[in-house]
Amino acid sequence: MKLTDPLMHVRGASQFIDDIVTPSGCLHAALFTSPIARGSIRSLNTQAASSASGVVAVFTHRDIPGLNQVGHVIKDQPLLAVDSVEYIGQPIALVVATTRRAALKAAKLVTAEIEPLEAVFSPREAARRGMIHGQKRALTDGDTAAAFARCKHIAQGKLATGPQEHFYFETQRALALPSEHDTIKVCASTQSPGTFHHHIAEVLGIPQNKVEFEIRRLGGAFGGKESTAVWVIAPALAAFLLKRPVKLVLERNEDIVTTGKRHAYEYDYKIGLDADGKILAYEIDLYQHAGACADISLAVLGRSFLHVSGSYRIPNIRATAVSCRTNIPPNNAFRGFGVPQGNFAIEAAISHVAEKMGVSPSVIKRKNLLQNGDTLPYGMKLEKTNAIRCWEELDRQIVIEKRQAAVDEYNRKHADTKRGMAVIPVCFGISFAQTALNQASALVNIYVDGSVSVNTGAVEMGQGVNAKIQTVAARTLGISTDKIRVDTTNTSRIPNASPTSASTGADLNGMATKNACETLYARLCEFAAKHLGLPTADISIKENAVYNKDKRTDLDWDKLSAAAQWARIDLSEHAFYATPDLHLDLKTERGRPFAYYSYGTSLTEVSLDCRRGTYKVESIDIVHDVGQTLNEVIDRGQVEGAVIQGMGWSTTEQIRYAPDGKVLTLVNSYKIPDIKFCPAHFKTTLLENSDNPFAVCNSKAVGEPPFIHGLGVYFALWQALRSVRKDKDVPSLPLTPEKVFMYLHE
Amino acid sequence: MPSRNKKGADKVLNFIINQQPVQTDEPRGMVLLDFIRDVKCLSGTKEACREGECGACTVLIGTPRPDGSVSYKACASCLLPIGDVDGCHVVTVEGLSADDTLTLVQQSIVDHSASQCGFCTPGIVLSLTAFCLTSPDYSYEDALNALDGNICRCTGYVSIRNAARALCDRLAKTERAPEKRVAALISAGVIPAYFNAIPQSLKRLPGPSSPPCGDAVLVAGGTDLFVQKPEALRESELCFLSQRRDLDYIREEKDGLHVGGAVTIEDFRLSAEVSRHFPSLKNDLLLHSSTVLRNKATITGNIVNASPIGDMSIILLALEARLAITAKDGSRRETPLSTFYKGYKQYDLACGEIIHEIFIPFLPRGARFNFEKVSNRVYLDIAAVNTALRLTVSPDGKITDLRLSAGGVAPFPLLIGGLDRFCGTAANAATGAEIAKTVTASVKPIDDIRGTAAYKKLLLNQLVIAHFAGPSAPGTSR
Repeated sequence: MKLTDPLMHVRGASQFIDDIVTPSGCLHAALFTSPIARGSIRSLNTQAASSASGVVAVFTHRDIPGLNQVGHVIKDQPLLAVDSVEYIGQPIALVVATTRRAALKAAKLVTAEIEPLEAVFSPREAARRGMIHGQKRALTDGDTAAAFARCKHIAQGKLATGPQEHFYFETQRALALPSEHDTIKVCASTQSPGTFHHHIAEVLGIPQNKVEFEIRRLGGAFGGKESTAVWVIAPALAAFLLKRPVKLVLERNEDIVTTGKRHAYEYDYKIGLDADGKILAYEIDLYQHAGACADISLAVLGRSFLHVSGSYRIPNIRATAVSCRTNIPPNNAFRGFGVPQGNFAIEAAISHVAEKMGVSPSVIKRKNLLQNGDTLPYGMKLEKTNAIRCWEELDRQIVIEKRQAAVDEYNRKHADTKRGMAVIPVCFGISFAQTALNQASALVNIYVDGSVSVNTGAVEMGQGVNAKIQTVAARTLGISTDKIRVDTTNTSRIPNASPTSASTGADLNGMATKNACETLYARLCEFAAKHLGLPTADISIKENAVYNKDKRTDLDWDKLSAAAQWARIDLSEHAFYATPDLHLDLKTERGRPFAYYSYGTSLTEVSLDCRRGTYKVESIDIVHDVGQTLNEVIDRGQVEGAVIQGMGWSTTEQIRYAPDGKVLTLVNSYKIPDIKFCPAHFKTTLLENSDNPFAVCNSKAVGEPPFIHGLGVYFALWQALRSVRKDKDVPSLPLTPEKVFMYLHE
Repeated sequence: MPSRNKKGADKVLNFIINQQPVQTDEPRGMVLLDFIRDVKCLSGTKEACREGECGACTVLIGTPRPDGSVSYKACASCLLPIGDVDGCHVVTVEGLSADDTLTLVQQSIVDHSASQCGFCTPGIVLSLTAFCLTSPDYSYEDALNALDGNICRCTGYVSIRNAARALCDRLAKTERAPEKRVAALISAGVIPAYFNAIPQSLKRLPGPSSPPCGDAVLVAGGTDLFVQKPEALRESELCFLSQRRDLDYIREEKDGLHVGGAVTIEDFRLSAEVSRHFPSLKNDLLLHSSTVLRNKATITGNIVNASPIGDMSIILLALEARLAITAKDGSRRETPLSTFYKGYKQYDLACGEIIHEIFIPFLPRGARFNFEKVSNRVYLDIAAVNTALRLTVSPDGKITDLRLSAGGVAPFPLLIGGLDRFCGTAANAATGAEIAKTVTASVKPIDDIRGTAAYKKLLLNQLVIAHFAGPSAPGTSR
């Protein structure tokens, strides 16, 4: 099936927020943000900005008619700072001018006298001082102390993973259009229609039924447009107060400096294996670098915490996780939502202990891989597990042991260049870990000309969710996809929608769409039977026509729609879906938080130039489980895109901070993968004969899980580096060329 | 800076966007991206970084050649002042497919699902279209190089590569001759038919209105200048080196190459004369920024930008380049590049002087050249350290001359002095290690965003050793 969006993308015809034709008189907003990581605001001077050319207004927290609050889960984040600031980039004042340039220029004229206070930038230091968000989480399964006593091989260490900038191409932005009766329409680039709709109404002090919130598509998001609503609410506030359209578009470097990133983590790990290489015990402490406000960090932490055991069976485990309150911009969701960080530590622990044992890590991994009947540390029993099937399919293609032997042989023969490989299995829980979010609704309208409009809360951001929903609707109604249009995400049509995240967009909204279409299908079959004078049981709709048993009737879909409407049959249906049987008890850390798991296995091979400290990803072979794919092209694209993002996180995507907490890495030094970074050999196999009764049409979620394969570069480099020397610890992630070089030469 | 004189006939710019002739008195320093989006309301060209780091704003710039034909190149419109496209044909994504039919490039991207969120896609379409217009043989390698400045955050590039490969296959039998290229690509469905009429339409435009340079800021490509101070430049009087067609030449004379001051880095990289005498530069210069930037960036711009880490400066220092400089009054002087730099962003060029020519002597008999660069990302990144070596060796294997430059280790591009004592020693790895030790001891790098001082010092040491160890291992450093 051909996707419709790319047909417009290639012609530059798809509309993003800044492409919407604005009404004349549209104003532009820019923010003045804190230049200091922590301090008390003594005074704020907006005089120069107010009188600058083109400036219409400068707003501060005093101008907010409703609640000065954008906190996503915990109400700890003011829209505009009141008397203190907690991070560099925290919004203080909102400047509105006739042009974007004038607004940006004037925002630089605002000054604030801020008395600096001591700021904390180390998560461990924050934890030591008790500066944490929410509660520390702790989980114990079995008895690690007793188990370690029985272990033959033990490895322990400290490691860290770095932050990652989303670098969605379309920066944060929104356009707000006020209307009569204090109503307002906001068009924004966000993943969270429901929550942001609520936030806007709260800040403006009006009921939600006066706010219409609409999203056509996003120029990328990757989680970075899920929680922080500042850049959506700020123009809405200005538009509401001035009764004029207002647009806010962040500049790239503003976006990099002031918005949240993937959380950096620090880890203390200890792993123990018996003489056979079976994992007996694992202890892991996670320190999450959350930033100044809770934002969505506790949810991310929870997901890291539930994924600390990776794809492995670990009978005795003790895990703790704490979200550390530091003075950097609040970090937020990023593809994988804490799982890559949770998985990293167990992969590192296995690489470490395998090295001590003198065996390939893949041998240990295979031996401990999850299988049906295993129970995860939080008490969920696994069924329909494909961990071993994915591994075996990859092994059949590659023969992992032989590849390792070839790498080892290469390294024996070469001194100036080395090779390294890593096998990474994936076991990724699907569902929002917060049970309440696992709901969706759909509104399907059939018009008298036979065209169909599908409305859901899903947000299209390039992941192809609209095409998948279109497929579900077409299959269920028995019509072709060209009759179906998936409309904008709009809170007036679909209220209270959960964010499009956690890879659940197609699962939840697809299921709601299916429910609505099934009802319409049954209703139309019944009508057609009556209309044709045939028994309902003999009627079906397929290929845009009504069938009498296997015979096509003269009643095609378009005629059926018109006839049904004339006969006063309701051609519109709203339906709802809530994922069944989900629960997690936070007191005991036991439950069934996920509907199912997504699996995969990959092998990454790298080459290393020892003299220069440079490296290249030579190849990656992936077997990934997407169930019965709704759209193979989309699923392959999701795998490829996620993997390369994961590789970027593992290698060149590094953010440097000044001692005062300022982000030093801007667009000219934050290096995401380019076309030549992508390994020449990149092979994706979608696991065959995988079914999944827990999601729509037996499919599986695909947005996030393949990101984990990107970790393979880090661990393949680990192996290459260790073939040169072992007299010091492997550096933390990302393994930039600088870190690789210093490991080899310092 | 003199304030801009907005109105007046000499301030009017004339060019063509897609099929539409455009006349404007907007400031010359307004970047083309803003003009396209905000003035012409063509929203297909996307803004994603405004620093030439992503390629989302890529457009085609068609410049008339002396023979009346038009030369098309992909450029980053976010760093391209409209004054620099006076008299040119600007092609945006809207200018490729007027109706619903897709061009071959667009169709290939659709067929291979090489577009996810779509924000980078118009830029990729334009870069691949430029590849079709410029690649001598429609090779896949050229197609990948054409995309070296187009970053995509969604696809992971596998599908984009597939689309590029399919495009190359489709074009394999297409006419290659430059003079027949436009017609061939029109019939192949790569560009629309109106391209045929563009040379005539450009001729009908009033000639470039470039006022005498006077006190105006001379833009030598502007791909870094417009990153550093776009606001100030928008308000400044500007004149453009690209309009000095008399300085756009590469001449091979008996002593070496004479390179006009207006030559772009990409033209230099692809020049037959350069390839004949310095064959490694074609690949070495792929490490310099990206195609969409090299198409505008000039060698002189790279020199006067005086970045301590400028790739071109480092290469030219080792090659013993000399600069020919013209003063405002027309008087001329020459200076070796090695004495040009005086300190951080300080150099030997008076107000009103321009570098009108760079002279690069041929390699002496027995000499070889090597360039090394290490950056965080291999392509489209600024070096942590770069270094170049010209090494001349006698038939019996003794060093007779060596010139070694290094970037990222001093406030300006540095020619390392004090290496004469190695003349007469054997040109081997042991000497290389000795030289590396000497070189490393003589530099004092600083900690910055490109790396710590300790890293740069150790890295330079290894890169100098690499100069003497022969070419880099295949498939690793490059």
